[in-house]
Amino acid sequence: MLEFMEPLDEDAKLMVRYRDGDADAFSALYARHKGPLYRYLLRQVRNAGAAADLFQDVWSRLIATRSRYEARAKFATYLFHIAHNCSVDFFRRDLKMRRTARSDDADAQLEPEVPEYQRPDGIAEFAEQQSALLAALGALPQEQREAFLLHEETGLTIEEIARITDVGVETAKSRLRYAIRKLKKSLLPAEIPVRSPYGHERFEQHAIHGPARRLG
Amino acid sequence: MDPPDDLDEYLRGDSALSRQYRRESAPPPPHALDRRVLGLSRAREADAHGTAQRPTPWLAPLAFAASVLLSVALVLAIAFGPQTVKRVDDAPRLMRVAAHADASNPALDRRLRLYSSDPKLARPPSAWLADIAALRRAGRNSEADAELRRFRSTYPDYPAGELAIRP
Repeated sequence: MLEFMEPLDEDAKLMVRYRDGDADAFSALYARHKGPLYRYLLRQVRNAGAAADLFQDVWSRLIATRSRYEARAKFATYLFHIAHNCSVDFFRRDLKMRRTARSDDADAQLEPEVPEYQRPDGIAEFAEQQSALLAALGALPQEQREAFLLHEETGLTIEEIARITDVGVETAKSRLRYAIRKLKKSLLPAEIPVRSPYGHERFEQHAIHGPARRLG
Repeated sequence: MDPPDDLDEYLRGDSALSRQYRRESAPPPPHALDRRVLGLSRAREADAHGTAQRPTPWLAPLAFAASVLLSVALVLAIAFGPQTVKRVDDAPRLMRVAAHADASNPALDRRLRLYSSDPKLARPPSAWLADIAALRRAGRNSEADAELRRFRSTYPDYPAGELAIRP
């Protein structure tokens, strides 16, 4: 909770206007934040349908609770706090559904408890469809991925990310640090074995910035 | 051990990681989603206007004035209502006053004394019944009953009037 008054950012002023009945202010807010919010949700849940549902849910909650809005912090903090709560709910529901499905099917007990997109084969398939960076992002633990996405999509500070995700500053910092370390590895040149004209193997370095290819 | 400058370098912005992330193509939200969200906002706005128009600024004072009027009317009804009823009840009281006047009717008393002193004397039936009725009005019912008994013994077939019979 903020103990000091921050100067209102432009978006917070727009939200105050919207709270007070200015419908045009909402259109402006929506235009500014729809891209970052959609990308955050899409890359968090990695499913276009679920991201669309969550996107609508976030805006619905903002619209429904606008009369209670108080401009105490950046508007992005407010909006992405709602988004964080929606995505937490989504992951909780997803886990519950998978557990229910598993209990219904005795054979499925042998399957791992991770969602499909986090299974090794799923990750490999997903990686084929997008860059190494996004594949690495998708492979991060959800909390680390969220910390990275919040910073990249909104430019929020670690303190603000901590506030959104309801954790301490050190925890948020640690999550972001681990995320960065893992993601940076995806940018490193990969060593790909090539056969030399002399018949023995040597390694050449190739930066993987385009679509990742499965080797072997 | 983590390189100490990893996070700091990243947070300063314009790191290779950030540049690469921004280069990645990202689909915008579908237009259908835009329409749905903006439609939600408009619908909520319409609802808010609808509810805001219902309470008009003059409605509260009007309601207050109506309440005050009703209260005053109720107090007046309680204060003066029973007295109005009493006025209706005044009629018997006036009759009693009139009867009291009849009770001290000297001519009637004289007649009663005259006819009761001699059983052979008899009044004309209509005059006798008028006297009995006067006795009833004066509340002298026992005397009226006695006169009525004597009247019936004298004129057994003569129909007695209501005023003479009923107390």
